Amino acid sequence: MESTSSPVKVYVYDISMGMARALSQGILGRQIDGIWHTGIVVYGQEYFFGGTGGIEACAPGGTVLGQPSEVIDLGITEIPFDVFMDFLHELSETTYRPEKYHLFHHNCNNFSSELAQFLTGKDIPCHITSLPQEVLSTPFGAMIQPFVDAMHVQGGHSPFQ
Amino acid sequence: MADNSDEHDKPGLITINVKTPKEKQTVQVKEGASVRELKEEIHKKFNAPVEQLCIIFAGKIVKDDETLEQHGIKNGLTVHLVIKSVNRTASETPPNITSSSASAAPDVSQTPFNLGGLGGLAGLGGLGMGSANFMEMQQRLQREMMSNPDMMRQLMDNPFIQSMMSNPEMMRSLLMNNPQMRELMERNPEITHMLNNPELMRQTMELARNPAMLQELMRSQDRAMSNLESIPGGFNALQRMYRDIQEPMMNAAQETIGSNPFASLVNNSSVAENTQQGRENTDPLPNPWGGSTTTPASTRLAGSAPAGTPNFSQGMFNSPGMQSLMQQMMQNPQIMSNMLQAPYMQSMMQSLTSNPELAQQVIASNPLFANNPQMQANLSSMMPTLLQQMQNPELQSMVTNPRAVDALMQIQSGLSTLQQESPNLFSNLTGVRNVPTTTTGVSAPATTTPSSTTAPTTGSATTPAGQQGNPEAFSTLMAQMMQMMVGGQQNSTQPPEQIYASQLEQLSTMGFVDREANIRALIASFGDVNVAIDRLLQHR
Repeated sequence: MESTSSPVKVYVYDISMGMARALSQGILGRQIDGIWHTGIVVYGQEYFFGGTGGIEACAPGGTVLGQPSEVIDLGITEIPFDVFMDFLHELSETTYRPEKYHLFHHNCNNFSSELAQFLTGKDIPCHITSLPQEVLSTPFGAMIQPFVDAMHVQGGHSPFQ
Repeated sequence: MADNSDEHDKPGLITINVKTPKEKQTVQVKEGASVRELKEEIHKKFNAPVEQLCIIFAGKIVKDDETLEQHGIKNGLTVHLVIKSVNRTASETPPNITSSSASAAPDVSQTPFNLGGLGGLAGLGGLGMGSANFMEMQQRLQREMMSNPDMMRQLMDNPFIQSMMSNPEMMRSLLMNNPQMRELMERNPEITHMLNNPELMRQTMELARNPAMLQELMRSQDRAMSNLESIPGGFNALQRMYRDIQEPMMNAAQETIGSNPFASLVNNSSVAENTQQGRENTDPLPNPWGGSTTTPASTRLAGSAPAGTPNFSQGMFNSPGMQSLMQQMMQNPQIMSNMLQAPYMQSMMQSLTSNPELAQQVIASNPLFANNPQMQANLSSMMPTLLQQMQNPELQSMVTNPRAVDALMQIQSGLSTLQQESPNLFSNLTGVRNVPTTTTGVSAPATTTPSSTTAPTTGSATTPAGQQGNPEAFSTLMAQMMQMMVGGQQNSTQPPEQIYASQLEQLSTMGFVDREANIRALIASFGDVNVAIDRLLQHR
């Protein structure tokens, strides 16, 4: 079997473009450094779970969000690409269908977390996955829920031809 | 992990969680078992052939002949399972990324406004509204932007937008993805040229981001264009240019909004004359600070067309080009009547009536009315009735019938003459008092006021060039005309005392004892108490 490993990275974006870091302390009452969106970059593509298209793929850094604000290295995966695609395919038909997207409970970060564990056994940093809970626990968080709900990350295409 | 209790007793068995995308189950194997044995167990539980099973742990596929211990798969840990599909539809090799840098553009949904790619930004527009359907939200955003020009500016100031706009690749692909734009580009290869020129794109985006710079450019361009007019044959060239390029672009960009707002600029049927032809443009430069903030698309700034168009209602009517057009029209009433006849005028009026906000905007931006808040108030109170009137096909046909317009003009001139000759009689007839004599310049275009108050081009012509005239008298006259029209259809039998009974009461409790004057004021203000009070106070 040829070498089929690939480095795995987590691209972290701040959807609020810095607004969260600046305003969260005053508005929410607690400091939140960003509203994180993540994608997993592996085998030369970035995979993320978007609201409208379900699991999508694009060139790394190719969403409207531009370049990530943070790149976390998760190591290397040795899962061959076809196995990975099978896995992704199954995910996209079950737990990560487009309509299953829920901003606070089943979002891109959940997907990235699952994918990361599959690929490397490691999870993405917990400050990302725990963000929705942190925000929701503030009264303001509940208030801005519809606002944030309307935001979806776009810019990819289905990875399955 | 629901295990039978006796499982705990058996030594050497470990429990492994097996997780697939679909489900999660537990499997027991002996300690020190090999992967193959694990697969056997999984095969039993998941009903999948062993050959298709792929077990992943810590990012590695574990091979059959290895043991679980080797990989550190211990009791209670989770492994991933992928059941390979027999017919591989997905490609076996990773996609080629080197060629995709050029097409790394976001995939925007097909919306005329190209906001599809701005996921986060659309959230701004949907503030508090929370919609699931993106298209619908985007429509709403568009509408919102039309009624609030400030929003456009805010949009521009958003760092998100700015960073996006500073990426020429992205802008270009945004434009390319819009099918209407693409169509346009096919028809006009110059546009493609323009888009492919990165320098120009960058400049365009700079402009779009910086409204002051845009304005500056527009001014100088308009100046150049109007000078171009005076060159023999230049006007035709301009017309052609407009028709070929700008019109389809505007059409494409504004399909959702309605008719082509620039239609009135093209008097292509009967008006071939250009009063400026042969003479150099000696008008003073338009006031840059009195002008609009964002201006409509010009032929060069294709890139800013999508960004600039939603403000057309304000920008267009304030642009120097438009104003000079208005002037021309005032000097030549023939133009006006021709224009009214044109079909596009009709559609424009239709779109105005169906969108009262737009009409409001249009009125507000009209330089004539902008300086006269009272008139504005008048108009806005009359607006609903006016718009209703506009719907009236009879009125429409009357307006477009040049002979009817002529007749109205005659009536108006007759009225003003009467006013001059016998002011008492006049005031008794129409209830308008103390009206200083108006020049005949008012009379002619004033007849078109019922129809034209929603069309600023004619609206501006209701006063002589540059002169404010007598706004008070004029508005009263206009109110009278409206009243006559309204009265002709609706409350003809009801005396005004009855119609405005409650308002009269209000006025009298406030201390306005002159009932006659109250009634007149109420009639003129269409029952709006506040406006009536203003009126009464002025007349004293």
